[in-house]
Amino acid sequence: MSSTTPSMTAVLPSKKTRLSGHILAIPGAVVALISFFLPWLDYVANGTVFLSLTGREAASSPAITTGSGAELFRATPTAYLVPLLGLVVLALTALAFWRGYVTEWDGFALISLGIVTLIFVWLQFTNAQELADKANTAVQSGYGLIGVYLALLATIIGGSLHVRTATERKPSLRGLLSAWGFMSPGMLLILVFFIIPVIITLVLSLTDLASSNFSEPWHFVGLDNYKRMFSDTFFPKILGNTFRYVILTLGFFNVGLALVLALLTTHISRRAGFIFRILWLLPRITPSVVYIVMWRRFVQVPPHGIINQFIGWFGGEYQPYWLNEAPWLFVVMVNGFVGASFGMIIFSSAIEAIPKDVMTAAKVDGASALQIIRDITLPLLKWPLLFVTTYQTLSLLVSFEYILLLTGGGPGLYTTEVWSLTAYNRALATYFGSNQWGYGAAWMFVLVVIGATLATIYLRVFRFDDLVAEPKIDVL
Amino acid sequence: MKVELENLSKRWGNVYGARGVDLDIKDGEFVVFLGPSGCGKTTTLLMVAGIYKPSEGLIHFDGQVVNTVAPKDRNIGMVFQSYALYPHMDVFHNISYPLKLQKAPKAEMEERTQRVADMMGIGHLMERKPAMLSGGQQQRVALGRALVKEPGLLLFDEPLSNLDARLRLSMRSEIKRLQLELGITSIYVTHDQVEAMTMADRIAVMKDGQLQAFATPEELYDRPRTMFIGGFVGNPPMNFAEVAVSRRNDSFHARREGLDVVVPSDRGEKASASDKGIMGIRPEDVTIADEGVSGEVFVVEPLGRDHLVTVDIAGIYVHVLADPALGLHIGDKVKVNFNTSKVQFFNPETEQSLLWA
Repeated sequence: MSSTTPSMTAVLPSKKTRLSGHILAIPGAVVALISFFLPWLDYVANGTVFLSLTGREAASSPAITTGSGAELFRATPTAYLVPLLGLVVLALTALAFWRGYVTEWDGFALISLGIVTLIFVWLQFTNAQELADKANTAVQSGYGLIGVYLALLATIIGGSLHVRTATERKPSLRGLLSAWGFMSPGMLLILVFFIIPVIITLVLSLTDLASSNFSEPWHFVGLDNYKRMFSDTFFPKILGNTFRYVILTLGFFNVGLALVLALLTTHISRRAGFIFRILWLLPRITPSVVYIVMWRRFVQVPPHGIINQFIGWFGGEYQPYWLNEAPWLFVVMVNGFVGASFGMIIFSSAIEAIPKDVMTAAKVDGASALQIIRDITLPLLKWPLLFVTTYQTLSLLVSFEYILLLTGGGPGLYTTEVWSLTAYNRALATYFGSNQWGYGAAWMFVLVVIGATLATIYLRVFRFDDLVAEPKIDVL
Repeated sequence: MKVELENLSKRWGNVYGARGVDLDIKDGEFVVFLGPSGCGKTTTLLMVAGIYKPSEGLIHFDGQVVNTVAPKDRNIGMVFQSYALYPHMDVFHNISYPLKLQKAPKAEMEERTQRVADMMGIGHLMERKPAMLSGGQQQRVALGRALVKEPGLLLFDEPLSNLDARLRLSMRSEIKRLQLELGITSIYVTHDQVEAMTMADRIAVMKDGQLQAFATPEELYDRPRTMFIGGFVGNPPMNFAEVAVSRRNDSFHARREGLDVVVPSDRGEKASASDKGIMGIRPEDVTIADEGVSGEVFVVEPLGRDHLVTVDIAGIYVHVLADPALGLHIGDKVKVNFNTSKVQFFNPETEQSLLWA
């Protein structure tokens, strides 16, 4: 190797640049930590919790003496520290961007933290009274969580929208404009179909909007909906159901069966494999209602139901109502038969994309078919596996229509009710008498948080950066 | 390892990839399969490797029929044009993979892998992934992987085609030397006749799925049995012209419009048996001289040491390797002399040599 190409170093900003970027990111982290832990600090220091204790509220709150700004500041550190830090962060971010010190990754995180802080301030000023009334530790830590979450989200989005490398210190205005110009259609889509709905959900979740009080203006109720949700008797049950549903369906069908199908259909003749895959696509293209009607036929109340009829023909005595007997088996199967085809398609095209020579080399090297799958195929499927796992986790988390149609969350109370179904039932079904849009939004918003967190974890575990790394040297 | 191919054919429906190939490769021999794209050389190689099942015929390794033996049990090593390294494994794991499959003890595996890597000059790159290696380094890793289990037979499928010209030259000599030192029977597929000439003990020339000749490079060059071989082996390629050979007085003349050359009587006699023949003569056997056949320079291509001059002789273009000192230009009138002791004659219909049966 006579020389390394400059592209190797051009991919990353210099160490110094990166370091200063990270140093500048520290205030953001501090804000996140403070907004998270301050309630407890506050509690320890004052023996009570002061939330959003602005001047206006302080005056009306007997617990706190009115007085000079300095006194107020001493009594209500939360109210000033957080917005102050937010402004500092925003200023630092602007400075860092202007000087070209930070990558977008850091920059987006910083900006978002600043924005979150400002939202925090706004909420305090506009809604101080209600918030103060309902102030408690959970409320404050909840805000902290939201802040941390949004920072995380922005970090992900910031990372994927890689505008420029930080090595070009002062990008030309024109370069910046064209970069943002090219990204704007995608960003618009993300904004309209992701960011804005998430924000609307978040705002809704802080209100008491419901059909029962639809005639009045809505009220901000702080984190009441969240409190109510977390203290629900059936909350642990629903949480457990959601985990069970996602893990079983994902493991056995959407990834497990999909992988098996992909391996099988790529190891038989091409045409047979193709036909086989088409057959597996049928559940996906069947309308949900038709598909579920078919499944319900299978498991009808005895002596009906196709399974029971078969059992009867063979003289079996045991003819249960399958849907009551094994609801989870069918919930997982019904979803899995649809879900498996997605992974199957992705995996089989990835398998077919592995160069033939590599397979031949492995055969010549002495590998059996199973050894080739273990040593060559599966490692090379890392990226599609990551993609399918992530994508299907998220889509399973929010999918509920098959469960709704098959069991409606039953039999009995919440037996197969998953998170998204609860959110639907609370918000949009006339469940227990009313549409509680605000409460349902709280359920949904937590789901968004869980989804984004999981996606981040997946990306870390599978070392996404390494996977998309380019080959670096092209000369001897 | 001795390799025998007996009437070997590969057929997909009515399309033959290889047809009736008979070959007898001696232990330790370096055999090159040479031919243009789609001639069946790679198909034949893949049958030897066990990737393709022969439609007909037998493959013997050391006298044993191996038609139904799986590739992994054939004790072969293979090197590919695309290198076919495992992209997710580093150099060490790429090279040691065959040993891992043989369940070799760890210490032995590491020792042998290091030895082969050092031999290939890549011992210092053990932790690199293939994507971080140059083409030449990747091909060395591929060679190391093929050699590490000390196979009885090495198969090369155009291993140098993806390398640049200079690297190809040095890898060529390296592979040849390595093969001589290790004495492993080798089959090397290429469409590059220079590679074939320089490396092979014997060359199997293939065309349209059939074996055209199986002979030493010298024999192929001096005594081509078909026009195809004459034209394919040697660079720049042989000149061809349709002539009539006849006896006049004591000498044999090859004649056509604007051309009349005396040919040695042994060759002339054989050629004159057919009333028409195609004369073949290599560019290095044609010279620009004071006396000879008249022609006009059509184009001059400097090659460095020589100029490749195309001379228009009454409508046929003849390539001549000429001394640059002559300073020829397009349009110059020249005289051309043929060194007829090396001249070839072919039957125009069958394209078989009239000289060498």
